[in-house]
Amino acid sequence: MATTVDARGLSCPQPVILTINEIKTGTDPEIIVLVDTDTSKENVTRAATSQGCTISDVSPDGDGYRILIQKDK
Amino acid sequence: MFKLLGKILPPKSKQSKVDSGILVFEHTSEVIQAEQVLNKSGFTVRVMGPPPEIQTGCDLVIEFPLMEELNVLRRLADVGIEPLQITPVSSPLLSPVDLFYKKDFGDYLMVRAANMKMTIDVNTLEIVNVSGGGCPDVPFLANQLVGKKMSEAPRPRDLGHTLCGYALELAYQELRKECLQQ
Repeated sequence: MATTVDARGLSCPQPVILTINEIKTGTDPEIIVLVDTDTSKENVTRAATSQGCTISDVSPDGDGYRILIQKDK
Repeated sequence: MFKLLGKILPPKSKQSKVDSGILVFEHTSEVIQAEQVLNKSGFTVRVMGPPPEIQTGCDLVIEFPLMEELNVLRRLADVGIEPLQITPVSSPLLSPVDLFYKKDFGDYLMVRAANMKMTIDVNTLEIVNVSGGGCPDVPFLANQLVGKKMSEAPRPRDLGHTLCGYALELAYQELRKECLQQ
């Protein structure tokens, strides 16, 4: 099961904050984050990695990206 | 009488500041290093934007007390920094970062200084995001800072080589003021 965080249309640092909140409080082992800018993609992947998670996949999704995060802890 | 004086004297902003000079450097990293060295040595200096007539060097200059010129140059020479140009201040200087913008996201606080943003978790004081810029060292700065607590993270001024690094240092200082004063 994966939880989806839709951060499209949000400006920095909100995609990162939503992602970290889901990492800290969510129960699903996987998180899908949708973003619509390269900057958000970089920031979210960096933040998730810094929280001890693994980035399983980053793929184009419409005008943006779909980031699959695996919670390792 | 005072009204008359007001008409005779030029407005404060147009008065000549012959007591100040500026040091022009080729690279922003030299400005950052020179500011650190001079501040540590007790000189009163400020990093500013250059006046329009300065056509050389990078986007920042250092304003310093002109009467300290020889001592300042000697101190810089000690650490191997040589300004491109030294000139008295003849027009108002632009402050590179006059305003900080702060946004409270509850558990997170963001400070923007000029073109750079730093966001921390206010409960853990961990840096959760660094963004902005357009300078080549921003990804490096973000990689070095994100995920570290403010007390353990290196200072942006020690890592950066551009105006973005300088702006990020100001954001960092502002966050420290906000979060570490309690």
